[in-house]
Amino acid sequence: MIKTLSNNISFLRTMLYISALVILVVGALTYRSITEVTKSSEMITHTYKVNVELEQVLSYLKDAETGQRGYIITNDSIFLEPYISGRSKINNSFAELKVLAKDNTTLTNSLKDLNLLINKRLLAFQTSYRSLPKNDIDDPAFIQNFKNGRVLMDSIRDQIKGAIAIQNNLLNQRNNEYKSDLMATPLLLFSLLLCSLLLMYAAYNSIYKNIKQLKATNEELEIFKESTNQSEIVSKHGSWTWNVKTNTFTYSDNLYRLLGEQPQSFKPTIENFLTYVHPEDVEQLSKQVEQMKENVELPYIYYRVVHKNGNVKHLKAYGKSLVNDEDETVLLGTTADITDEIISFKVLEERNAELERNNKELSSFNYVASHDLQEPLRKIQTFLSRLEDEEVDKLSPKGIRYIDRIKNAATRMRLLIDDLLQFSRSNKADKVFEDSNINLIFEAAKQDLAEVISAENAIITSDAFPSMKVIPFQIQQLFVNLLGNAIKYKAEGVIPKIEITHQVVEADKEDGITKPKNQFYHKLVFTDNGIGFDNTYAEQIFTLFNRLHNKDEYSGTGIGLSICKKIVENHKGYITAKGEPNKGATFTVFLPID
Amino acid sequence: MQEDYINITLADDDEDDRLFFTDAFDDIKITTRVKTFNDGVYLMDYLNSDDALLPNVLFLDLNMPRKSGLECLKEIKQNPKFKDIAIAIYSTSASEEDIENTFIQGANIYIKKPSDFKTLKKVLAEVVTINWQYHTNSMNKDNFLLRF
Repeated sequence: MIKTLSNNISFLRTMLYISALVILVVGALTYRSITEVTKSSEMITHTYKVNVELEQVLSYLKDAETGQRGYIITNDSIFLEPYISGRSKINNSFAELKVLAKDNTTLTNSLKDLNLLINKRLLAFQTSYRSLPKNDIDDPAFIQNFKNGRVLMDSIRDQIKGAIAIQNNLLNQRNNEYKSDLMATPLLLFSLLLCSLLLMYAAYNSIYKNIKQLKATNEELEIFKESTNQSEIVSKHGSWTWNVKTNTFTYSDNLYRLLGEQPQSFKPTIENFLTYVHPEDVEQLSKQVEQMKENVELPYIYYRVVHKNGNVKHLKAYGKSLVNDEDETVLLGTTADITDEIISFKVLEERNAELERNNKELSSFNYVASHDLQEPLRKIQTFLSRLEDEEVDKLSPKGIRYIDRIKNAATRMRLLIDDLLQFSRSNKADKVFEDSNINLIFEAAKQDLAEVISAENAIITSDAFPSMKVIPFQIQQLFVNLLGNAIKYKAEGVIPKIEITHQVVEADKEDGITKPKNQFYHKLVFTDNGIGFDNTYAEQIFTLFNRLHNKDEYSGTGIGLSICKKIVENHKGYITAKGEPNKGATFTVFLPID
Repeated sequence: MQEDYINITLADDDEDDRLFFTDAFDDIKITTRVKTFNDGVYLMDYLNSDDALLPNVLFLDLNMPRKSGLECLKEIKQNPKFKDIAIAIYSTSASEEDIENTFIQGANIYIKKPSDFKTLKKVLAEVVTINWQYHTNSMNKDNFLLRF
């Protein structure tokens, strides 16, 4: 945009120069042609004047001749008058002619010859009428003289005719020149004017286009300015510029609002601004402002301001230094009100700390509760065992049955406490993920269950597992719980068979992965041939203390699968269950691959 | 004469546990002399006294008022006078943390109190007859916790 404008400006400048040149040329040409015309008309006048004078001279001579003839005929001296006055008149005319012919040598020469002839003629007059005997016009000498006079007169006529012809020639020549000038000049002027008009039109067009463009740009700028204003208000931003050389500032309207003031209500200076800054932050901010002058990329600056009504706001400023056209350093800055963020951050922080505290309390409560519960229970069990061993003889069969019931209840309580302990342990915050050999973990889990496995003759088959990044003891627990469950809930009279498969799958191709964070997952499927369960409970079985069977039938606590879910969630994975009554159950575990 | 007895000492604040302990040794066919203390302070006072009969095996409960089993363990291990005492941790719980801490502090074996008197007798008999020289040399984190 700026480039086209500057291009246009240089175009306009060229237009202006060319137009001025054309006008100058037009002026010069006009002036020249006017001078030419004036000169030509002067020439014509001059030529006419010369012609007139020459005719005049001839006419004087004719008068003198006529007068002489009259005198000769009448012998009255009154007829001599034109002759006598003719002389001086001719002289006057000649003087005039001499001046007129000053620059024309041909004419001057011709005039000289004419003068000589005239003198001769006048002399011939004198001689003729002087030599005339009294009324003797037949005197041969007189006739001779008279004839000579006629010859001289003819020569004079010729001479004058020649001179006039010279003048006429000259006039013609000039006329032609003048005519061609007159013909050429308007054409040139017209074309120049046309050219000038065209240039003016082009310039006008260009200016018009520029103005239109500027107007549109101006409108855009106006809109942009308004939207900037709006967005500054909405986003609680203000902007400012600082010309370091002239130490002048401009503040945007909203910067004033950030200070709790009306827009442009005070002169934007550092000193005025610092009066709003929190007293504890003034020193540091002043220091940072000083640093701003020197650095090109400036760090974020955090400080507080105090509104006149006492409200404290947290601001964050960022500046960038630029060099303007006048080679002055100008800082462009943005200042944001981050009070809300800071408040919500603090609230969040407090809430986080509270949550963490709660969590810690809860898990230590869990731990301590189940730990301390163990002690009296252990004693009950120990006393029971002693009673059974040492005092059994003194008890009635009823008493022995009661002891049996107490023992069962105590065993169940122990199971619950152990599972609760494990559950609270799976909640612990310190989870260390390690690249682990899952095959070894799986073997260790089987080892943990060695007793039940051999007691039930359970057959466990599994794929080879790749190494995974997991919390090893938790995964071992997961395997123990899932394998243990499969054996515990075996079908009556059937050797439990458990098959574990491994696959790497894509997240979006598996229904079990509801909100995938990773693209690929390990999929571990535990399939057994146990009693299975109704699929309507597929979700329910993972909730704490949820049991699908009577306590008398199966010894579960309802915690095992909750622990499994917790462990899988700790690994950002998913666990799903699918069952078919009396056919078996399938548990699917998805663990993310980084 | 002293050679004929194995000197056993227990520090445990729980009366019932002390009773189980002494009863168990009464039943075991090994000649032992069992001494019990109600907490860590009584124990250490006795051990530090000049005429103390140092036990061959010392059973330490961990959770005791005034001075815990772990504190006793640290004090005993810092004193060269007690270097020949085999120390068995004798606790209700077997948390990873407790096992780790006592192992690092130099206890010789960790016993989780059984909940069956027969088992208790079996375990105690096993522990007091351990050849500590041999056991200590081959001890690691895995066999530190006594399995029964």
